[in-house]
Order: sequence, then C-alpha cells, then structure tokens
Amino acid sequence: MSMKRNPLTLIIGLLLIIVFGLLLFVFQVRQSQVAVVTTFGNPTRPITQPGAYLKWPWPIQKVWWFDRRVQNFEDRLTEGLTQDSFNLLTSVYVGWRISDPAAFFPRFAGSANPIGAAESLLDQWLGTAKTAVVGRHPLADFLSTTDNGASFVAIEKEILAAIQSQLLTNNFGLQIEFLGFKRVQLPESVSQQVFDRMTSERKVLAARFQYEGEAEAQRIRSTAERRAAELLADAQGQATKIKGEGEAEAAKSLKVFEQNPELASFIFRLSALENSLKERSTLIFDQHTPPFDLFQGVSTNQLMK
Amino acid sequence: MNDHDHPQNGLPEPALPPETPVDAGSQALAEALRSSFTIVKVVMVLLVLVFLASGLFTVGPEQRAIILRFGKAQGEGEKALLLPGLHWSFPYPIDEHIKVSIGGLQQVSSTVGWYAVTPEEMLAGIVPPAGPTLNPVTEGYVMTADANIIHSRAILIYRIRDPIRYVFSYVNASNTVQSLLDNALLHAAADFKVDDILTRDVAGFQEEVRRRVTRLADQQELGISVEQCAIQSVPPRQLTDAFASVLKAEVTRSQVLDDARRDENQVTNKASADAESIINLAQSDRVRHVSDVAAEAQRFEKILPQYQRYPALFEVQRLTETLGLVLTNAQEKLFVADSPGGKQRQLRLLLNREPPKLKTEETKP
Repeated sequence: MSMKRNPLTLIIGLLLIIVFGLLLFVFQVRQSQVAVVTTFGNPTRPITQPGAYLKWPWPIQKVWWFDRRVQNFEDRLTEGLTQDSFNLLTSVYVGWRISDPAAFFPRFAGSANPIGAAESLLDQWLGTAKTAVVGRHPLADFLSTTDNGASFVAIEKEILAAIQSQLLTNNFGLQIEFLGFKRVQLPESVSQQVFDRMTSERKVLAARFQYEGEAEAQRIRSTAERRAAELLADAQGQATKIKGEGEAEAAKSLKVFEQNPELASFIFRLSALENSLKERSTLIFDQHTPPFDLFQGVSTNQLMK
Repeated sequence: MNDHDHPQNGLPEPALPPETPVDAGSQALAEALRSSFTIVKVVMVLLVLVFLASGLFTVGPEQRAIILRFGKAQGEGEKALLLPGLHWSFPYPIDEHIKVSIGGLQQVSSTVGWYAVTPEEMLAGIVPPAGPTLNPVTEGYVMTADANIIHSRAILIYRIRDPIRYVFSYVNASNTVQSLLDNALLHAAADFKVDDILTRDVAGFQEEVRRRVTRLADQQELGISVEQCAIQSVPPRQLTDAFASVLKAEVTRSQVLDDARRDENQVTNKASADAESIINLAQSDRVRHVSDVAAEAQRFEKILPQYQRYPALFEVQRLTETLGLVLTNAQEKLFVADSPGGKQRQLRLLLNREPPKLKTEETKP
C-alpha cells in the first residue's frame, strides 16, 4: 500500500488483474469435451474443438461442458415377435457420442445426469427399432445364418438404420458410431426343439461313425487279403517259371543218357528203389528175386527142420 | 527493493529526524510493516518457484503422458506421447498433463454365450446343474452355422497401442472392447459348424473371433492391438451325453481302423515273406535239380564203359549191391519160399505195425 509508484509492483498488480480477468473471460475445452456457451440461458455458441475460448463473465454467459467421447451403451434384453410369431430376446450394444452440443443442451442439460438421460432415451428408441426389425424377419433368419452370418450383419444394419432415422427426426445432437448384437436368445420352446433336433443329429452322427469305421475296416482287411493272395500267386508263378528254367537247363545233361537208354533206365530204377526203401519198411521176398534166388534148389522143408 | 523504496517514500521519512521522540509507536509500526513486506516478498518468490516447479512430472516406465495446452493435445499421434522420464509443462491453468498406462496387458472376457454361473461356482470350477430347458434370460448361448446351440466364452488380451485414441475417444474403452468381443463371438459362431467349434477347428474358430475383434476395433479406431484370444466352448449341459456318445463313436472308429490297419500290415507282411520264401525255395530247387542231373550224367558216363563190357554181369552186380544196401536199411525182412505143392501161398498183413511177430505166425502155417 505504501509502494504505489514502484513499476514492479505495478507489473505484479497488472498481472494479477490479467489473471483474474482471464479467469472471468476465458474458459478451456479439453480434448475429451465439447461445450456450449449460453447467453442468458440460451445456447448461443457450440464448441466442438479443444482449446481456450473467450466468453463474457458469469451472469451474461455460462459454459456447459459435456463428454465428447464415445459412450458404450448396452440395452436391456427385450422381447420382440418375429415375422412368424416367435418370441425372440435380443440385446445390442451401441457406441454413441454427443456430436452437436447445441442440440444436445436444450434437451438434456436440465437433468442431473445428461448422459444417463440420453441413454434412457436411446434405450427406448432401440427397443422400438429392434421390435420393428425383428418383426420383419422370420425366426429362421436368426437360427441359421445361411450366408456366412450375412443375415446377422444385415439385421444389425437394419436396426442401425432405424435408429439413425429416429436420430434424424429428433435432432438431439446424438450420433451413433456403431451398433451390434450382444445377445440373441430363442424362446424356451424353440430352444427345446433345437435340442431335440441336435440330439437326433448326434445319434445319426454316432451311428455313422460306427458304420463308417466298420465298413472302412472291412475294406482295409479285404484289400490286404487280396494283395496277400496276389503276392503269393505271383510268387508261385515265378517259382514255376524258375523250376521250368531248371528243367530246361537239366535237359541239356539228359543227352548223355541217350547213349545207352537201357543202362539209364536200369540206373534210374535202381536209385528209385534205393530211395523208396530208405525209411522203415518191411520187405517180403520170394526165391525169384536175386540174391534170394540162391535159395532155389534147397529144400525148404529140410531147412525148417 | 524495500531498501530502495524507503528513502523515496518521502511522507513519513522527513518527519523522522526532527521529531524523533514524537512517534516511536509509528516507527515501530513502520518497522513491522517493512519486515512483513519482506516476508511477503520472499513468500511470493517461493510461490512463483513452487508454481513453476509444479509443472515437473515423471512418466513411469509403463506409461506415456500427453500435455494439453488450454485443453488441446500438443502434437499429433505418436509425437504427442511423452516417453518415460522427467518432463516439464506449464502448471495447471495453462497446461495439463495426463498420464496413460500402456504397459501391461489388458484383459476383457465375454460371457454372454455362457450359461448362468455365479462367480463362486466359476472360481471353484463347478458346473451348476442344468434345467430341463434353456431360460433365455439367464442362460447365454450362441448359435452355430448349422443351427446348433452351444455355450462359448472368450478371453481377449490386448495392449493399448494408441493411448490418445484409447483415452480421449472412449469413455470406457475396455467396455467397448468387451462389447466387440461379444459381438465377434456371436458372429463367428454363426459362421462355424458345431463340430468345428467344439473339436475339429477350435483354433480356426479362435482365429476368426480374434480377426473380427481386431477388425471392429480397427474400424472404431480403438487404438488397441489384440495379443491373444482364448475361447472355451462346450455343448449344452442338457445334451452332454449325446455329444459324448459321438466322441466315443469317433474314438471307437479310429480304434477299429487302427486294428484293421495293423491286420493289413500283418497279412501283407506275411504274404510277402511267404512269397519270398517260395521263390527262394524254387531257386534252390532249380540249382539242386540241375546239379543232380549233371552229377547223374557224369556218373553215367563213367559207368557206361563198364556196362558195355558185360551188361548182364553189371546189372546183377548192381542189383545185388543195391538190394544188400536196401536190406540193411529195412526194418523187417520176410522171405517167402514157393509152396511145395505149387499152390499160391496166402499172406495176411496186419497193417497196424505194432506187434511185428503176428506176421511170422501167419507165414508158417
């Protein structure tokens, strides 16, 4: 107080005033926010880019900040009748965000939890959209996704389109980023039918495995036996051929015997006799067989005495 | 500066030397004021220092930081990220730093396709008993391409690749990742047949879920990279036996086939061994036969001259010799002389060899 004329003091004083003024006239919008400036309560300036902005101080202008990030919302499991009157339970997730704070503000700023209020509105709209879309499809579209899941994708797109058009008609500054099914549940009676069908499919499959196994095993075995028979027959054929070759080779030596067929015949008979009586055998002779012909002329009766 | 201020401040000062005794009280006040100003100045300087120093911050090893100047991120993409270390930014109203943890793996799990189970049961690994039917509200499941109902749950492990997107674009990015995982599981199941999901192509199914999550996350620019996706799928508890019987049939089938293949091996191996031995035998027979005949021929050539000299004598000699040899080998020898009356003798042979004496009795009536 006693140092009015000191320039440094003045500077400090000025700085303080500037800081105070900045606090009154400047506000920030963070990267994750959008804001709307109201003048005497009316939204006059939406701000969607982060940074520092000027405004008139409080009673004149006021700033409202909202989260600009994508909110993940999952709706309740709701019932819907399919085209063919089956009760289907579905639940979806939605990524949404505030795209236009000026449109969002008048509708939701009054509530204590604007995000929650927006989500409960979304929940209603989603319920309507899902009921409408499910009603356009027969149950089969949810049961068998014939085109590689294409029907699921198509249904999701339909719901998204329905909700988008709802958003267009009611411009509340909301934007849907993505939407997808979280759960698709069949009514109890249908899942029971599916179970019955699955059970019989399993039975057929089990029987088929058994039948296939046996049939295949039989095929393997019979093929093996056929191959074995082929191998043996082939070997026999080769063996016969080899023996034939042997005989042909031996026949060359046979010419030797042609020099004297009588002797050859005699020798062959002798060796046949020798070979045939090698083993245990009983021989009965009479006196005409050499060398027993020596007994001829000797009286048998005398011999026996 | 207080010292310099003092002489300039003319108003109280000039009064000081002439009227020293007048106001000792005001002088003491001035002193007090002066020293308190000094303290205030020191405090102010300290405050400024503290203010500036408050802009210092460290980024941990598993963290990145972003500086917001007046709320706006400084730099774009990768450049905006401050690496681990000591950093400085202007203090609060000007700058603001936000630390993001990128280290470590994040994990979300999807249980929308699983039956109702309490956390305690899940931990203990207990499967709660199944009702006769599926309650569509409490029991989750997914539908396969061949319209089967199965239970399937997934765990996704991912890393934050782009913390700016992850933090500044999503209120709760991990919830979004979980929703995407739920959706991917639902869609992937609808693309696969029940047996592929349960047994034949578990890895393929897993890969498909992972691919879908990655694609959805990329579409939404969640700034994550999927590290791992693990899926567990089971048939409905109501149909456990039916599914088990198919698995059993499959096992039996492969056993039956294994048996058949073993038999096949055995049969063909034996046959080829037999075939080989047949051929070997034939070959040795051939060799023996040829050499036998050759030896015979050689012998024949040797004895031919002897024979030609006295054919009759040779024959008798050989015959006798052979008979002698044969007779030594024979077990029993019977000589039957012609009966004296010239009538035929009758021989009765008992072909059972046991008692050799029976025959001799008959020969001598």
